[in-house]
Amino acid sequence: MAIDPSSLTTDQLNTFIVARLAVSGIDLNLLPTTADPVTGAPTQAQVLSSLRSFVLKTPTAINGWRPVPATTTDADALSQELSPPLEYPSITEAWTGREGR
Amino acid sequence: MTREFNRRVFLARSASVAAGTAAAAALPATAFASPAAGGPDAGAASLAGGKKVTVPDVDVRPEARQDPTEATVAEAVTLLRHRKLSAVELVEAHLRRIATFDSVYQAFNAVTADAAREQARAADRHPGGVLSGIPLCVKDNYYTAGVVTTANSFIFENFVPPYDATSVARLKAAGGIVVGKGQMGPLATTRATTPNGTVTTVNAWTPGDPSVDPGGSSTGPACSVAGRMACSSIGTQTGGSIVLPSNQQNLTGLKPTMGRTSVYGVIPLSYTRDHSGPLARDALDAAIMLSVLAGPDQNDPRTLGLPAVPDLVTSALPVRRGKKVVLRRATTIGVPPDYLTGVGADVLALRHGFLDQLASIPGAKIVNVGYPDDWGLLTDTFNNVRLSERTEPFLPYLRQDPKLFGVSLLSWLQGLFLSGDEWITGQRAKNHLLRELLDGVMSGCDVLLQTGPVPFDILGLPELALPIGFAPVGSDPKVPVGTILGGAPYEEDRLLEVAAAYQAVTSWHTERPADPVVAAPLSRAAVTGPPRLTPEQAAATSA
Repeated sequence: MAIDPSSLTTDQLNTFIVARLAVSGIDLNLLPTTADPVTGAPTQAQVLSSLRSFVLKTPTAINGWRPVPATTTDADALSQELSPPLEYPSITEAWTGREGR
Repeated sequence: MTREFNRRVFLARSASVAAGTAAAAALPATAFASPAAGGPDAGAASLAGGKKVTVPDVDVRPEARQDPTEATVAEAVTLLRHRKLSAVELVEAHLRRIATFDSVYQAFNAVTADAAREQARAADRHPGGVLSGIPLCVKDNYYTAGVVTTANSFIFENFVPPYDATSVARLKAAGGIVVGKGQMGPLATTRATTPNGTVTTVNAWTPGDPSVDPGGSSTGPACSVAGRMACSSIGTQTGGSIVLPSNQQNLTGLKPTMGRTSVYGVIPLSYTRDHSGPLARDALDAAIMLSVLAGPDQNDPRTLGLPAVPDLVTSALPVRRGKKVVLRRATTIGVPPDYLTGVGADVLALRHGFLDQLASIPGAKIVNVGYPDDWGLLTDTFNNVRLSERTEPFLPYLRQDPKLFGVSLLSWLQGLFLSGDEWITGQRAKNHLLRELLDGVMSGCDVLLQTGPVPFDILGLPELALPIGFAPVGSDPKVPVGTILGGAPYEEDRLLEVAAAYQAVTSWHTERPADPVVAAPLSRAAVTGPPRLTPEQAAATSA
């Protein structure tokens, strides 16, 4: 069964966020701990709060979507055949020259 | 249908290339721009290589004869051509307004007055291309050779590009004169602010009230044209940044189809969604500007192998049958379910008026269309898929010091928290959304009205913003209201045809804001408004 990310604690999320930033070489400690009007950059606490909210909502909503096949039988398998990824949909439309609408 | 024609032309050209023949020779002379030569002079080479843009004489309004800063590009071209105006006079008139009023508007990051004057003198001696002598504003995320290009960010505060962006090169090759770099949201995200979030550019219609949304992120280019400090401008759009400031400041903005214009030499925000296009005074000006910008560029593979650029200038000229304005082609305009809901009474009345006016033009047919059930999900939450694209090119700066991103940092960090598989899901959703739009929502219409820019941004489809009236906002009695038309791939001409017909029977687009009170900046502290954006606001309103 799929696990619900809302069960993650604040500490778990903070650890994940700091670790993920570090994996890409980004040091959260370079950000201020109190408001910095000179740069306007968010504080460390603001970053953690914002990213916790983002992590709990956005990835789940995106990875929960799949194109829906016409039949519910073997839906996951049939869905794999639908809507291959297009980075540039309008360009692909021209290259494939689909006619009519 | 145009798309069928585009397909035939596309396949014909492919066949010509495969056969080793010169593609251009096998096709109508007006259908193709010569491929741009590689290197930083690509734009100039392309324009010099055969793309010829011509502007017919137009009737020049009395206001434009009296004050050249009132003129549209087409009017200015007409006056210049008939020696009723010199390039020096035209450029000086705009520079005077910059000197007088930009302390209030704050539309420019940099003003290149000396170079502009020199180029104006040269244009009077030797008139060049279609934009010869026309003063222009360029958003500050376009590379400009030898001129600081900051994108309003700490990251680029001292960056002097070694070459012009292709779009800038093409404008210059056509004779355009850049009078300055336009203010923008930091790294093309929000309304124009300094990197720390302090609001800069105001809405030219409410110069004393910075709380009124001027639209972003191409805020400065929009304000420069609305405030008559430039005749026209170019901006960029990733999430509404051409159409929204155009709507807010009574301009006609045209975000073309992905690939129609090059974004080589534009500081990236999201590779799959960054577009270059004009913020102009009317449909004809937008068409002239886009005609100069459009076409293949060897430095931007997204521009290659695409349908030919149609005759956009002709598309933007109104057609009359007798004394009656008619649409150039019969066009069905789709009205989605949210178009007449969720807005105040003033805006709703303007939208009804817009639809009534359109319906009265012979050739226009208005139909209601529906959205599929997953439309909201795919155009709202899935809009976040773009965030990974801004993180990737900026990772070295994030590693160096995240404070370099100032108030805009959060959305750059959010991009790290979408995995590769989620990004792929987002690209699948684009395909799904494209088919839902073209085969479903737009199956019964040629043009779709929009309440926001996002779906057409996500899909790289063209959209055009145009004024439809004015409404009060707070204590400001007259703030522009615009609307957005979306089109099928590479059908900018269809959008221009509709806009040209509408503008031929209305005059909203000819109205200009009153001059600001120059003392206004001193009183700003007393005005209630958002003097600074917070990091959370910047993330929530980011393009």
